[in-house]
Amino acid sequence: MKKFVSESWLVLTMGVVFACLLAATQTSLSGRIVENQQRALNQAILEVVPGLERTEELVIGGNRVFKCADAAGELLGWAVEASGAGFVDKITLVAGLSADGERITGVKVIDNLETPGLGNKIEGPWAAQWRDRDATRSFSVTKATPTVDQNEISAITGATYSSVYVANIVNDVITRIRPLLAEYR
Amino acid sequence: MADENGSNLRQFREGILDNNPVLVQLLGMCPVLAVTNSLENALVMGAAATFVVVMSNLITSLLRHLIKPHVRILIFTLTIATFVTIADMALKAYMFEVSKKLGAFVPLIIVNCMIICRAEVVAIKNGVGRSLADAFGIGIGFTVALAILGVIRELMGSGTLTLPWGAQSWVLFQLSEGFEPHKWIVMVLPPGAFLTLGVVVGITNQIRARRKQGGAA
Repeated sequence: MKKFVSESWLVLTMGVVFACLLAATQTSLSGRIVENQQRALNQAILEVVPGLERTEELVIGGNRVFKCADAAGELLGWAVEASGAGFVDKITLVAGLSADGERITGVKVIDNLETPGLGNKIEGPWAAQWRDRDATRSFSVTKATPTVDQNEISAITGATYSSVYVANIVNDVITRIRPLLAEYR
Repeated sequence: MADENGSNLRQFREGILDNNPVLVQLLGMCPVLAVTNSLENALVMGAAATFVVVMSNLITSLLRHLIKPHVRILIFTLTIATFVTIADMALKAYMFEVSKKLGAFVPLIIVNCMIICRAEVVAIKNGVGRSLADAFGIGIGFTVALAILGVIRELMGSGTLTLPWGAQSWVLFQLSEGFEPHKWIVMVLPPGAFLTLGVVVGITNQIRARRKQGGAA
């Protein structure tokens, strides 16, 4: 026992001291970190459901869903936070749905690690084609010119997989979450 | 005393030039290839790594008489892991956008061999002054090498130069719209990283060889 202590006291002491240091750093910084993540989320919600004044946070089907209302309290739309596998790592996005759930009002990717300059274009102007789309059918991704009645999305050149993975997440929202929204109206 | 200080200064300079971790020692290459696709990423990674190597060398040097040989790697790793975690949390708190772009590469500083190498080669055997001089030299050398690669890759691959500035990036410089179709996209991808690194290391070796020749002659 004495040998054990004499060999390892430094490691154990340093372990304890560093653990305290990390705990202190975590405690003092976690507020800001959560704030940053929430700010990114809020900005995304504002983008996908324009004109909202108030949100109510719910958990529907395991996802965070924000019920968005205008100044008068009228239901404007829904913002669903969803994530799924991407080409490199997890992609997190916010999908906006209209009040009746019939249309996608927009999609904003808030977290991704896709290839810079190619896959991470999913965070840019490419996402504009998700505005005002039909939410009653699943989306598919095409490299050719997309047709709206087939519910197609144009892939990013050189980033087909990233585009497909975003569509997969939106399709999951449509098939799994959208039917559940009715009871929360 | 004067000799001691001269040696410290030499140790510091060596980390930047003759003993540059990236361009001469060829250590810690994976973050080099991954984060130099923009100048902003390169500078923040360099700063984070410098912070870690300075703290690691400082603590190792202060405790050097207490560290028994057979637990030294354990203690180095413990120290490095702690400070990398602190750096990661600080980036997430104060530079959120950049920390998202750097992704997994900030926690991966823990396994950057350059840092544990300095602890093993310098900090465990020398006083605080020498260890700190070495740490700052190596850290700055690392950052300079990353910055050189970052400037080349970002200019040729995206046509911009971005700097880290608080929560947002600051676009220092952007080539005109006419450049857009001439962008060499491969430069921001892994093959471009290897190409740029190869050329820069080649040029560095040329410069060093010529300096040595000049010295001998």
